[in-house]
Amino acid sequence: MLNAFRLLLPALIPSWNFFDVIAPSPRVEYALTSAKDAAPADWREFRPRPERVSVPALLTRLFWNPRWNQTLFVVSCAERLADNPTDHSQDELFRRIAADLSPDLDAAPWLSFRLVFLSRQGEVIEREVLYQSAPRRRQDIAVR
Amino acid sequence: MILEAAARLTEILLALALIQQGLEHLRGFRDERLLFGARTVLCVLLVFGVASPWPLVGLAGLSLLILHRFQGPYNGGSDRMGLLALWCLTLSRLAPVPQWKELAFGYLGVQLVLSYFISGGVKIVNADWRSGRALRDVFRFSAYPVSEALRGWADRPRVLRAMSWAVILFELAFPLTLLSRPALIAGLAVAALFHLANACLFGLNRFFWTWLAVYPAILWLQARLF
Repeated sequence: MLNAFRLLLPALIPSWNFFDVIAPSPRVEYALTSAKDAAPADWREFRPRPERVSVPALLTRLFWNPRWNQTLFVVSCAERLADNPTDHSQDELFRRIAADLSPDLDAAPWLSFRLVFLSRQGEVIEREVLYQSAPRRRQDIAVR
Repeated sequence: MILEAAARLTEILLALALIQQGLEHLRGFRDERLLFGARTVLCVLLVFGVASPWPLVGLAGLSLLILHRFQGPYNGGSDRMGLLALWCLTLSRLAPVPQWKELAFGYLGVQLVLSYFISGGVKIVNADWRSGRALRDVFRFSAYPVSEALRGWADRPRVLRAMSWAVILFELAFPLTLLSRPALIAGLAVAALFHLANACLFGLNRFFWTWLAVYPAILWLQARLF
C-alpha cells in the first residue's frame, strides 16, 4: 500500500513537463525460435504503425482506442525497463506481445524481445539495442 | 458557478471519462477486466449521484490498486490528471468545513492552469523547441504519430516552427485568460482544440476527455477569485 501511495504522489504533485526534451524513443521487436538456445534472427517490430489512418478512424478513436493506448503502455514499460529493469515491466511486455501472436505454439515455442531506441545524432536517426530479454516459453506466458 | 455545481459537474465529466477508459480495458487481461469493471460500476453510481460520497471514496481506493497493478499510471499524463481530479474531488467532498472543500477543489483548478503554463515554460527554455527541432523530432522518430504518413510532417520545418511557437505562446499566456470570463472560455476552447489535435495526431484520446472534465474547476476558481 505504501508503494501505491508512492506511485500516487507524482499525480497529486505533478510536474507537467510534457515533452520538455525529446528523449530516445523505444521500439519493441520480438523474435520466435524453435529452441531456447537458438539465436533469434528474424526480429519483427511489435505493432508497426499503419501507413495511413483515415479521418473517420481518427475520430472514432476519440471514443474507442484500446489498442493504441495499450501500445503506449508498452512504450512506457520499454522506457521503464531500459531505465530500471524489473520483472513487472518484462512480464508486461512478454504478455502483451504473446497475446498478439498466433496461438499455434508448435512451430516456434520460444519468444524473445528486444528494445531498440531511436535517437537523432545531428541529422541522422540512430538505432541502439539497449535491452534484450532471455527467451521465454510461450506456453508459460499468461495471456488471459 | 457555485462550488457544489462545479464539483458535481466535474464528478460527472470525470466519471464519463473513466467509463470510456474502463470500457477499453474490458478487452484486456482478466485482472484488468475485474479492476476496471468495478471502476466502471462505481463511475455509473457517481454519474447518477447514488450513495454520495462513497463511490468517490471507492474510486480513490481502487485507484491505488490500479496504480499497483501497472506499477504506475497506465497512460502517463492523462491518467495522472485523472488521479489528481479524483483525489481532489474526494477530499473536497469529505472535507468537514467549506474552506477546506474550496481549497481541495481550487487546487485542482490551479493545477489545470499550471499544466499549460509549466508545459510552455519548459519548452521556451529549450532551444530545440524554439527552433521547431523538437517538434520535428516528435514527428520523425518518437513513438507518438499514429501513422507513418504523419512522419512526413517532419519535412516541413517552417510549419513545425510556427506550430511550436503557437503552442508555447498559448501555454504561457493561458494564466492571463483568468482575468476575464470570456477570455477564459475562449482559452479553454482553444485548449480543447489543442487536445483534439493531439488525440488525432498522436492517439492521445484520454488527454482530451480528462482535461475537459477538469474545466469546471477552473471556471469556478476564476469566478471565486476575480
